Amino acid sequence: MAPSGLRRPNDPPLLILVSLADGPKHGHALAKDIEDFAGVRLGPGALYGAITRLVERGLIEPAGGDDRRRPYRITPPGSAALAGALADMRQVTRTGLSRLGLDPA
Amino acid sequence: MRPARLLRWYPPAWRERYGGELLALIQDTVDEGRPTWRLRLSVVRGGLRERVHQAVRAGTAAAKRVSTGWLMTVVAGLILGSLPWNIKAPLPPARAWQATAALGALAGVVAFTGVCVLAGGLAAAPAFIAFLRERGWPKIRRRVAWAAGATVAAGGGLAGLFLGQRSMSSAQLSHSWAYGIGVVATSLALVAALGLWASAATATAKHLKLGTRARAAQPLLAAVTLTAAFAIVPANLIWLAAIQSSLAWLVVGVANLALLGVVTPRRIGQAVRQGRRLRAAASGRTTISPSAQRTPGRRRA
Repeated sequence: MAPSGLRRPNDPPLLILVSLADGPKHGHALAKDIEDFAGVRLGPGALYGAITRLVERGLIEPAGGDDRRRPYRITPPGSAALAGALADMRQVTRTGLSRLGLDPA
Repeated sequence: MRPARLLRWYPPAWRERYGGELLALIQDTVDEGRPTWRLRLSVVRGGLRERVHQAVRAGTAAAKRVSTGWLMTVVAGLILGSLPWNIKAPLPPARAWQATAALGALAGVVAFTGVCVLAGGLAAAPAFIAFLRERGWPKIRRRVAWAAGATVAAGGGLAGLFLGQRSMSSAQLSHSWAYGIGVVATSLALVAALGLWASAATATAKHLKLGTRARAAQPLLAAVTLTAAFAIVPANLIWLAAIQSSLAWLVVGVANLALLGVVTPRRIGQAVRQGRRLRAAASGRTTISPSAQRTPGRRRA
């Protein structure tokens, strides 16, 4: 949580979907990528908990590979869900910035 | 603690599907070093969360199958059991035939439900005996002990209520705090006993190797039992309407009966089709759909 007490968008399933949006990745690559672009370090338990839920919901799927370093890829429903979530976040971001006078657009 | 040992915190089905991947991730993360406490905590927390998730999902599925029937039975039992003065009250002459018919139907439905449950037990008996011979008793001993304990408590409560009813008049019963508390405590014990027996039966069923016929008969037997359990409520309500000359209870009872008439043919039809599919799958004529074969933790694997 940020020092202000406001939470950053660090929902593991959302971060995983964003990470997979540009191609399949296995667990370690996912964790590194998420740390790079979001500054969030997901522990193995949190990462695989989120992967399990996303697979169950059909938002991501295994993309072949061996059993130990199996890459995952985003599915079409996953892409649609991610697009919807990001559009909602963009709306909130735009409104907030506009009301602060930081982004008149 | 070695990384592989950390996987023990996860349920077996989950480990089978994701264990290798998680272990690889842990090894990639720690490289050649030892897992940090933070990493261990993350894995332990993830494992516990997964166990809770699977338990909730399994519990929900089992509850859908089992709880509806016995819950309706409990509701019907509470209507009867908490109103003993209704049994002692004289019947209104104009409604006597209605009360007698409803009570007869109620007794018939209760007996029929019992026969269905007994038939299910007999169908599973050979598999259950084989399970016990293979030293399966320790696997279910604790659940059965809890269920038996709750049954003894409920039986004691019922005996106490029965004695109370014999020694007091209807007016005394309706003003007795002790009797009221006894009714509530006994009801709770009954609900607990039914729930624990359902849980023990579900746990036992997971270990049984049922024959094709028994497995194919199960869906139909379950549908008939559920229908019979549901029928207890309208029969109960119509009886209550008769002895209280209450139009409201009669309307609710008839509405319940009508709903049952609408739902039952569909439920029975589905069960018959499911039984046929199971028989056909066992004889190799066709296969069961993948959705029916999914097990927790192995979805879309």
